[in-house]
Amino acid sequence: MTTLDADLRRAAAQAPNKEALVAGDRRMTFAELDVAANALAVRLHALGVARGDRVAVLLPNGAEAAVAIYGTLRAGAAFVPLNPTIKADKLAYVLADCASTAVVTDDALAPLAEQARGQAPSVREVLRADDGADAPTGPLPAPPISVDLAAIVYTSGSTGRPKGVTLTHANMTFAAGAIVTYLGMRAHDRVLCVIPLSFDYGLYQLLMCVRLGATLVLERGFAFPGRVLELLAREEITGLPGVPTIFQVLASAGAGGVAHDLPELRFLTNTAAALAPATIAALQAAFPAVRLYSMYGLTECKRVSYLPPEQLDARPDSVGIPIPGTEAWIEDDAGARRQPGAVGELVVRGAHVMQGYWNDPEATAQRLRPGRWPWERELLTGDLFRRDDEGYLYFVGRRDDILKSRGEKVAPKEVEVVLHQADGVRMAAVVGAPDRLLGTAIVAYVVPHDGAELTSTALRCHCAAHLEDYMVPARIELRDTLPTTPNGKVDRRALADEAAALTVKR
Amino acid sequence: MGETEVGAGLRAELRAYVEEAFLYLHPDIELHDEDQFLELGVIDSLGFVELVEEVQTRYAIAVDALEITEENFGSLDALVAFVERRRPS
Repeated sequence: MTTLDADLRRAAAQAPNKEALVAGDRRMTFAELDVAANALAVRLHALGVARGDRVAVLLPNGAEAAVAIYGTLRAGAAFVPLNPTIKADKLAYVLADCASTAVVTDDALAPLAEQARGQAPSVREVLRADDGADAPTGPLPAPPISVDLAAIVYTSGSTGRPKGVTLTHANMTFAAGAIVTYLGMRAHDRVLCVIPLSFDYGLYQLLMCVRLGATLVLERGFAFPGRVLELLAREEITGLPGVPTIFQVLASAGAGGVAHDLPELRFLTNTAAALAPATIAALQAAFPAVRLYSMYGLTECKRVSYLPPEQLDARPDSVGIPIPGTEAWIEDDAGARRQPGAVGELVVRGAHVMQGYWNDPEATAQRLRPGRWPWERELLTGDLFRRDDEGYLYFVGRRDDILKSRGEKVAPKEVEVVLHQADGVRMAAVVGAPDRLLGTAIVAYVVPHDGAELTSTALRCHCAAHLEDYMVPARIELRDTLPTTPNGKVDRRALADEAAALTVKR
Repeated sequence: MGETEVGAGLRAELRAYVEEAFLYLHPDIELHDEDQFLELGVIDSLGFVELVEEVQTRYAIAVDALEITEENFGSLDALVAFVERRRPS
């Protein structure tokens, strides 16, 4: 029973009347979620979506997104979660790349899907997720098995093109199981998810809760902390996954004495960027009984490591130990394992490691290499790490130039490609600068063609029309030239230093 | 609705700020005073952090995290009412 579909069937059989989802003023039990997923699966099947097909899910956080994901799986297909702020040309690229046969979306996003569809001939249907109120019944293909493709999650690639991380049911149920184990989650947990389901950190909250038969409260982002604090109290939330921005707000609210309204809160998890020591201290002071987990991962294996909360005081800057049932170690360039204290690339092995990038054997070969056994492959993370004498891991930096802004990966190349498409742009270079709210702020340096009338505002507009929100540069600087290295390439280090000195405020 | 002259000035000021800080990225969106920023996609989660900081500094209002709600910051109408109510007179 190691499929995501089996997880939902089990939860619906064991606790049909238990609350599975809360989203806005909608509440769904596991039985209702199961019926709605089944109804969507029947519709997809009737439309010709076959076992193994890819179905894009273009929806904001809500019950519809959960139904779309489990309905796709029930139909034997794999889901492709997409950020609702995606733009038409990238959507078209992704739909064509994975040859999606259907897009499940809502009224607000359907026009975007229709627009992209023109360049994605594989798409047969753009359909609205519904709540299964008029649940059709009908034939379904055989349920998926553990080695089947469950999802393709797109992530920013250093070449400037998004890459599809392919994950089987076995990959995803293993990772979900390992995470609930170290978090000590139980069926009576109630998790509040303000992270988008299109981002694997958000997605796994759903997969973990369904696997456990726990309750997930879905909210569209963290725009209104007052609303989120109210939800934490009203919904008796026990677990809150967040990123540093969210915890900064929670820490300052905690100082105001919110904790006594939240007696049920048991754990907080942080990933994507490290928490500032001051934030950790403030959270510990405001919520003394709450366990705080620092974690590290990448979409290619979901999660690599976690720091047991009791280690937080001794090693506040560590991201901990490999998740249960996996191994991770640090290698030098020749592939030899490094001693404690020495910096090298982090390598990961376990059942959570992806199957490769969709349609891209070259990129796959750079990340996956043959492992200990003929059937096994190990993941080269591209991240530089060191470990201490007790084996705890510390993130040092990235090997490539991928940036992490707002917890999401941004390839500078992808932003540069879009800038080059704007009229009048001769050169463009994108770097990151440390930023209090964003972790890393995206900063672009642009050299206009002679005589071109460019403004930073117009260029940001252009970026906003072609990139997801989190990829739009926080700042665009116009220059006559860009610094170069002795061998004539753009000197990114010099630009990054300059960007850091600008102390981008956003 | 009989808005005071001060209220009208405040409304214009806040609209100018929202246009300059957020709306210019979405030239296709026509923003009405009652429109929800989030729903329309004019301001995202992070944008609200910026908006709240601006309101705090510009109008010398100390905003508690619990006050950052749709009712207080969700639209131009909400913003104007919140600032009018809270700014030092």
